[in-house]
Amino acid sequence: MRIYVNGREIDLAPGMSVKHALLALDLLKEIQAGKKVYDTAGHEVGLDGALSDESRIYVK
Amino acid sequence: MNMKKFLALILLAAIMAFSPAMLQSALAAGPIEIRILHLNDFHGFAQPYKSFGENDLRGSVAVLANRASELAKEKPTLILAAGDFIQGHNWANFSKGKASIELLNLMKVDALVVGNHEFDFGQETLKIRAAEAKFPILGANVDGLSALQPFTIKKVGDLYVAVIGVVTEETPETTHPRNVVGLSFTSAEKSVAAYVEHLRPRADLIVVLSHLGFSADKALAQKVKGIDLIVGGHSHTKLEKGEQVGSTLIVQAWEHAKALGVVDLTVQDAKVTKAVSRLDFITPAGTKDEAVAALVDKYAKQVDAALSEVIGEALVDFDGANIRKKETNLGNLIADIMRQTAQADIAITNGGGIRTSLAKGPLKVNDIYNLVPFDNYIISIKLTGKQIKEALENGVSAVEEIKGKFPQVSGISFTYAPTAPKGNRVKEITVAGAPLVLDKQYTVATNDFMAAGGDGYTSFGEAVKAAPDYQSAGGSIRSANIVYNDPSLWLRDIVVEHVKVRKTITAQTEGRIKEVP
Repeated sequence: MRIYVNGREIDLAPGMSVKHALLALDLLKEIQAGKKVYDTAGHEVGLDGALSDESRIYVK
Repeated sequence: MNMKKFLALILLAAIMAFSPAMLQSALAAGPIEIRILHLNDFHGFAQPYKSFGENDLRGSVAVLANRASELAKEKPTLILAAGDFIQGHNWANFSKGKASIELLNLMKVDALVVGNHEFDFGQETLKIRAAEAKFPILGANVDGLSALQPFTIKKVGDLYVAVIGVVTEETPETTHPRNVVGLSFTSAEKSVAAYVEHLRPRADLIVVLSHLGFSADKALAQKVKGIDLIVGGHSHTKLEKGEQVGSTLIVQAWEHAKALGVVDLTVQDAKVTKAVSRLDFITPAGTKDEAVAALVDKYAKQVDAALSEVIGEALVDFDGANIRKKETNLGNLIADIMRQTAQADIAITNGGGIRTSLAKGPLKVNDIYNLVPFDNYIISIKLTGKQIKEALENGVSAVEEIKGKFPQVSGISFTYAPTAPKGNRVKEITVAGAPLVLDKQYTVATNDFMAAGGDGYTSFGEAVKAAPDYQSAGGSIRSANIVYNDPSLWLRDIVVEHVKVRKTITAQTEGRIKEVP
């Protein structure tokens, strides 16, 4: 599935979650530093949250 | 009796015969208030814990249960669970979800919708869990499993509330195929539309209990009219206030018992006239429900006992100390297990995922859990020889820094020059004794961390995209290059099972990875 993290495009296998999207872009360290992950509506999502094709998430 | 009164009586009789809900609510005086409490994606996180990147403890299902109990006393209440309860944390896993069902029974939950992870222990276990549940387990868009029912109707105060349950159609792609044999996961939208039409005459309120994810819930609300409330899960969304889409309110309560969702509805003439929703955040500082606290302790003790179980014996010392800088017998063991499980040509796993050594002697479950502690699972992808070489180059690119990316391998041998420029260190590569062919495809088992690009391993993602049938539009990825993908089974549990079956384990270094000048 195609996911966008902070606007950057990545492709993940089925069953992968928000944390895999962050792994792909080496962004887990940002979470460790206290940042959170949000969806396009500005709602926080958990690292184990499922993603769907064309999901857009933001680390901030 | 005049004709008008006679016709009115006939009409009333008809209503009584076919729509008790309409009559009941028609007879009820004024607006009716009810409450819906909800939680989702519990995954067995019964005890407080610190989320990654946070310093504070959150959650505690005993505190959540007490809060739910207090809130339920204030007005007629429905308690709903939006999926993914029986699998995840050891607390649930070690009893294959029995602990979670007992918890929901104690909480007097009114309905649970299956989440995709409810299938992770297989259908037979799910049927056993369903038989233990004192509430219906819903799955309107799942065909082939009689343990599930499409909907339930609950009387909440003076109102009849219909609850339709749906789960993501992508469930088969998120668990091992053996777990969903004989099942069809059909269109959630079509199922909901059909049941809304069927249930509207029989209920004052229509609730969809959804394990589709927040964006899919929004799409559902746009496409299917007549849904009053969608109680969601799957995306682990922290919806502090519900989101209104047309006349449908959508709510979701984050994850892991860190929040309890509270929706207060005012209903008049089968219409919601007021809806207020919030999340009550749960911390261990709250008051616990004693029965639930006892249940949490009971299963926590069982986990401790299970972790202490001796499952086999290591016949040699297994070297984890050098796993980030050279071939070790421990790396060989883990890579071999991965390759065998996925029935792949090759396995490549990062040394950083193997966290300790194993001493010669008795092996406990906990030893294995400490060895491979991460929630990693095996995925096998077809890579070309060129992509394999690139993966190995990445793996040895930081050997002087003793980084976790250093590869441990199975089914493949290679030499590398640690002092050569990065990207040009790998020299000879053989697979099953023959030189690697750069344009030939090989199946390579790895872990999901690496497959997602962790530790700089980009080859796996590139291989997935390179498949001629690759498509990523309108749904999940499709790629013939993914040949094995089992998010339902952690690597550590596969290793535990390997040890249990064999009773003794041994391995040695074999020259799979050699340094050359």
